[in-house]
Amino acid sequence: MNELVKELKDEIIEALNLEEMTADDIDENEPLFGEGLGLDSIDALELIVLLEKKYGIKLADPAEGKKIFTSVASIADYVSKNRKK
Amino acid sequence: MNIAVTGEGIISAIGFNKQEVLRSLIAEESGIGRLKHLQSVHHELPVGEVDLANEQMKEMLGIPVSQMMSRTALMGTIAVRQALMDAGFSVDDILARKKKGESLRIALVSGTTVGGMDITELYFDHIAEDDNVSFLRHHDCGSCTNTMADYFGIFTEVTTLSTACSSAANAIMFGARLLKDHQADIVIAGGTESLSRFHLNGFNSLMILDHERCRPFDATRGGLNLGEGAAFVVLESEESANKRGVNVHAYLTGYGNACDAYHQTASSEDGEGAYLAMKEALDMAHLTPKDIQYVNAHGTGTPNNDQSESVSLRRIFGDELPLISSTKSFTGHTTSASGSIEAVICILAMQNHFVPANLGWAHQMEKGITPTLGKQSVALENVLCNSFGFGGNNSALLFSAHPTTTEEQVETGKDIKVLSRVELTSKEQLEDIRKYVKPLEARRMGKIMKSSLLSSLEALSQAGVEKPDAIITGTMYGCLEYSERLLEQMKEEGETMLKPTYFMQSTHNTIGSNIAIKTHCHGYNVTYTQGSESLSWALRDAEMLLKEGKAKTVLVGCHDESTPLFNSLLKRDGAEEQPSIHAIAMVLSCGE
Repeated sequence: MNELVKELKDEIIEALNLEEMTADDIDENEPLFGEGLGLDSIDALELIVLLEKKYGIKLADPAEGKKIFTSVASIADYVSKNRKK
Repeated sequence: MNIAVTGEGIISAIGFNKQEVLRSLIAEESGIGRLKHLQSVHHELPVGEVDLANEQMKEMLGIPVSQMMSRTALMGTIAVRQALMDAGFSVDDILARKKKGESLRIALVSGTTVGGMDITELYFDHIAEDDNVSFLRHHDCGSCTNTMADYFGIFTEVTTLSTACSSAANAIMFGARLLKDHQADIVIAGGTESLSRFHLNGFNSLMILDHERCRPFDATRGGLNLGEGAAFVVLESEESANKRGVNVHAYLTGYGNACDAYHQTASSEDGEGAYLAMKEALDMAHLTPKDIQYVNAHGTGTPNNDQSESVSLRRIFGDELPLISSTKSFTGHTTSASGSIEAVICILAMQNHFVPANLGWAHQMEKGITPTLGKQSVALENVLCNSFGFGGNNSALLFSAHPTTTEEQVETGKDIKVLSRVELTSKEQLEDIRKYVKPLEARRMGKIMKSSLLSSLEALSQAGVEKPDAIITGTMYGCLEYSERLLEQMKEEGETMLKPTYFMQSTHNTIGSNIAIKTHCHGYNVTYTQGSESLSWALRDAEMLLKEGKAKTVLVGCHDESTPLFNSLLKRDGAEEQPSIHAIAMVLSCGE
C-alpha cells in the first residue's frame, strides 16, 4: 500500500503539473480539493484520465470521482480494489 | 439605424436549407444519430452530422473534388450562397456593378473555432514523410473565411470571430455594428463549424458528452451531443432593404455580450454573464422581459449549463417565463455555428408562428426552467437567442418582427488615447508571471496563456487601470502548443482520453477569457482570428466600442506562439518562421 501511495503521489504531481512539489510535500490523508491542496474540477478530470491510463479503471461519471478523490489515501484504497493493470 | 435581416442560409443535421430545417422543426424530427462521415472510433457518441460527404458538397458548389477545402469552409460557403440568394443578391449583378464603379461595401463576418482542423488532423499523422504541407494554409480560422469569400469574389472585407460556442452570435453582433457605424452597406454574418476528431475527443475528455440523445433541461440530462453545420444571415439597414424592394424577415433590435469571468469550462452558479448579456440586449431594444414571447436557450444538455442558464433566465424573467426551448435537441451542439443556426431557427419560428420543441424533455429538474414541448399558432413579436462559450464568452441576440427603436447612435467624438503598450517576445520574460499568479494557478498555463496574461496585466498596471471595461483579443493561430500536443497524443495513442488541461486551452478565446477571469471583467469580450490582420480587427472593434460609448477603457491584445514543429512546417512551406511567443497588449481609452 505504501508503495502505491508513493507511486500515486508521483503520478499526480506529473499529471497535474505540480511543478514545485515533491511526493513528500503531499500528506496522503490531506484533502486534495477545496482546502488542503486546492485542486479543482479540471484536476478531477485529469485524475480520471490517470486512473484509466495507468490502472485501467474507467469512471463513467465525473461525480463518482468526487468520492474517490478525497485524498491520496482514498485513491490508493480505490485503486488497490479496482485496478485492472 | 434599424438592422434588417433580409436573407438566411442554413445547413445542419436537420436540413440542407431553411425549407428542410423548417419541415424538420415542425415534424419534430431530430437530426441526432450515429456517426457516418467523421472518421472516428467513437461510434458510441451520438452526433448531429450533416449527412453529406465533402465530395458531395464540392459537387453542390461546382468545386473540383481534388481541391483542398475544409469541411468548415464548404458548409459555410453553402450557407452564404443560400443567404445571398434569399436576400435577392446575385453574385453576377454585384460583380457587374463593381465593374461599373458602383461597388457595394459588402463584408463577410464569420465565426469558427475548428477552422481547418479537420484537414490538419488528417495530414498530421503523416507530416514527417509527406512533402505536401499545403494544409497549413487552410488550418487557421481566418484562412477558412478567406476561402469562403474567394468563392464569391464580392466581399470588400472579411473577418473572423472565435469565441468558441458563441462565435456566430458575436459575428452577427459585430456585423450589425459595422452597419450602424456606416463601415459597410451589407454584411453577411454567421458561423460555420464541422465536426473534428480533435474536438469530439476533447469534449469527451471533459466528460460532458451524453452517450444518449441529449435532453436539455431534463433532470436526467447527461451532457451534450456535438453537431455541425453553418448558417449565415444577410444584414442591412431597413432603408437599404426598402430601397432594394426586398422583404424584411426580422429585425435585429438588440444584442448583448458579457463575460461570465468565472471558469474556463464551467458557467457560474448565478449565471452572471448570461444574465448581463440578456439584460443588455433587452435594454438596447428598449424592451422589458414581458415583451419576449420565446427564448431559444443555449441549453446544451450539460448539468452545469442548464442549471446556470435556468438561474439566469429566472433572474431576467422572474416567475413569468416566456416559452423556452433548446433546439440543440434537433441539431446537436453546433458549437461556433450554433449562434447563427439558432438565430435562423428563431426567424423561421417568427415567420411561421410556432415555437420549436425542446425534444427529449420529460423530467423536471430541480430549480430548472420548464421548457416547451413545442407550440403551434403562436404570434412571436420578440425572440431572444442565447449563445454561451467556453471561458464565459456569453452573448444574446434579440430578433423582432418590427423595429423597436429608431434612435441614432450618438458618437462620443472623444479622442482615443493609447494609455500603455507592452510587447513580449522572449520566453525568458515569462518568469515574471509569478508577480501576478500563484504557482498552483500558473502550473497548467501554456506559454501563450502566460505571455498574454503577463503582457495584459503589465499594460493595465502601466495605464493605472485595475479592471478594463472590455477585453478584445486578436490571435492568428491561437493556442498552438497545446493543440499540437493533443494531435500528437491522438497520433500516438489513438482516440483515447485526451488531456483535459490541454483541450480546455485549445480554443482561441481561452486567452481573452483567462484575462477576464483574472481581472474580474464582466464586460464585452471577443476574439478575432484573421491571420496577420487579427490585431487590426481587434483595434478597430475597440475604437468602435469607445466611440459607441460602450466602454471607457479597453484592453486590446494580439497573442501568438509557435513550436519547433510548427516552425519546421512553415519553413517547408516557404513561409517565415514565427517567434516562440509574441504578445502585444495595450490599453485604449476615450480620454476623459
